[in-house]
Amino acid sequence: MELFGNLATGFGVALSLHNLGFALVGCLIGTLIGVLPGIGPIATIAMLLPLTFHLEPVSGLIMLSGIFYGAQYGGSTAAILVNLPGETSSVVTCIDGHQMARQGRAGSALAIAALASFFAGCVATGVLAALAPPLALLGQSFGAPEYFSLMVLGLVAAVVLAHGNVVKAIAMIVLGLLLGLIGTDGNTGAQRFTFGIPMLMDGLDFAVVAIGVFGVGEIVANLARRENEGDAEIAKISRLWPSAEEFRLAWPAAVRGTLLGSVLGVLPGGGATLSSFAAYVVEKRVARDPSRFGKGAVEGVAGPEAANNAGAQTSFIPMLTLGLPGNAVMAMMIGAMMIHGIQPGPQIMTERPGLFWGMIASMWIGNLMLVIINLPMIGIWVQLLKVPYRFLYLAVLLFCAIGCYTVSNSTMGVLIAALFGVLGYVFIRLDCEPAPMILGFVLGPMMENELRRAMSISAGDPMIFIERRISLVLLIATALLLLMLVLPAFRSTRKDAFQ
Amino acid sequence: MSTGAHPFLRRLARKNVLAGLMFIAIAALGLWLSRDYPLGTLRRMSTGFMPQLLCWVLMGLGALVLVQGLLERVTATATAPTLEGRENYGAVALVAASLVAFALSIETLGLIAAVVLLVLIASFAYRGLKWWETLLTALLLTGLCWAVFILGLGMSVKVLPEFN
Repeated sequence: MELFGNLATGFGVALSLHNLGFALVGCLIGTLIGVLPGIGPIATIAMLLPLTFHLEPVSGLIMLSGIFYGAQYGGSTAAILVNLPGETSSVVTCIDGHQMARQGRAGSALAIAALASFFAGCVATGVLAALAPPLALLGQSFGAPEYFSLMVLGLVAAVVLAHGNVVKAIAMIVLGLLLGLIGTDGNTGAQRFTFGIPMLMDGLDFAVVAIGVFGVGEIVANLARRENEGDAEIAKISRLWPSAEEFRLAWPAAVRGTLLGSVLGVLPGGGATLSSFAAYVVEKRVARDPSRFGKGAVEGVAGPEAANNAGAQTSFIPMLTLGLPGNAVMAMMIGAMMIHGIQPGPQIMTERPGLFWGMIASMWIGNLMLVIINLPMIGIWVQLLKVPYRFLYLAVLLFCAIGCYTVSNSTMGVLIAALFGVLGYVFIRLDCEPAPMILGFVLGPMMENELRRAMSISAGDPMIFIERRISLVLLIATALLLLMLVLPAFRSTRKDAFQ
Repeated sequence: MSTGAHPFLRRLARKNVLAGLMFIAIAALGLWLSRDYPLGTLRRMSTGFMPQLLCWVLMGLGALVLVQGLLERVTATATAPTLEGRENYGAVALVAASLVAFALSIETLGLIAAVVLLVLIASFAYRGLKWWETLLTALLLTGLCWAVFILGLGMSVKVLPEFN
């Protein structure tokens, strides 16, 4: 069995003391920022990108992915105990999880959330290991026109499946694509939009833009919202083990959530948030007595929590196999790879099996660590929930500043982050989601390259995108997605799902 | 903007209208900046092709958002989201200013001064902070930064200003 041989390679890499350490650090940081509202995995990963400079690529990516799925675990803690979603993917966990806590069942809610997440994490890692090789093989057969069409599909799907106004989201993608063009044109060597600033000649630094928009921008938006906050009221935890009855109700929900999350995570724009919302809707549909939901139904915790973790895990699939980021965190991972000079795409699996399988194996180990971090050590995280935001934002802002300074090795980076912080605030206030912009920003240079190559293959005939069969299928899928938006039935479901 | 403003101004303050105008302005700026970039041909695209193409697309999308915003129907139950009410421009300016201060001071005055400046300026963005809380945070964060970045990671930046 080739799969087992590959997994053995992966575990060989992931189980080295060095990489175990980085997985643990990633999981701890992930849980920490998951618990703390007001700082998400995107900003954290952006701030820590500079640190991964000094690491081996595998270790850096293991740590960064630990932050992402660790945040899914931590997010549920804040949701259950204080009714504040630590992350957007745990918004639905608030509904029933916090009700359970108010009924004195905080411990069981936490345990069910952690165990459902663990189960989902294990299954989804298996899905990742099984699905990645065939997809990477498919990707290797793609030429420039296919790749270009695939990126178009990926970007459009990413906004159709996310919430908010689609036209605005597509405009944000285009804006991101434009920002991605800043710097020296790789084909002609000419300068574009550099204003004579030396730092911009290599292009805008990805980490600096992300820190500005997601780190600084969110601080400002939070500050505007959080004037006069009171201290959070934290529910007490009595016992940490669910009853037999709760177990009986929870496990089928966890299985359903896992399946749903595994599928939705692979889709562009999918991932943790979409999966958890969808799982909650499904649980409500299949329940014999839907009226229990909102009043502490165990399934309302198990399903979404399993789904968000599964979705987080399987969203690595398109990123690792095709070099296509489905969400902003995956865009960040691609940025991390490029910092180390690794070109993301289907060749990673064959050229760097240690990195590829090592990351996958580390996810399984990381999930195991997270159960331990989150259940027996829950007391520590509860203490952290008591840190008021007024101290937190100063620390986060400082780390943003230092992160930009180290990543760009110049004070210009900090100034650019300040500019993007202001822009990020404007975007948030005008209801323009910044995440699609980051996707466009990462894919911008790649898309231009593929378009140029496709056009030189076809001698300037744009019909090549329609004549190549795979490319045509991808473009038709894009068109169908956009057409679906016009259908009233789809629009109302989309609106319901993201309420 | 107050609720008593002219109806046209209120329509202009709608989020979608403003967003549309923003996209159009960015696209126009991009077109102006890239006016001298050579376009090339479809077969051999040159420097200006992608930027100009994207700017035109962005302008079209911006116009679409703008029209959407202007046509939003206001009924008794649903109002079009607008930018009325108190905006926290002060917080935005202070946070940005604290970053600028950090950038200007880290290479001249050193890490400690930069950290303290950032914390002090940014602390005014949140009115709930007491003065001793700010000082304590500044002290703690300075210590933490020194331990993590200078001791731990060996970052090569001066800690204190040098006078010579």
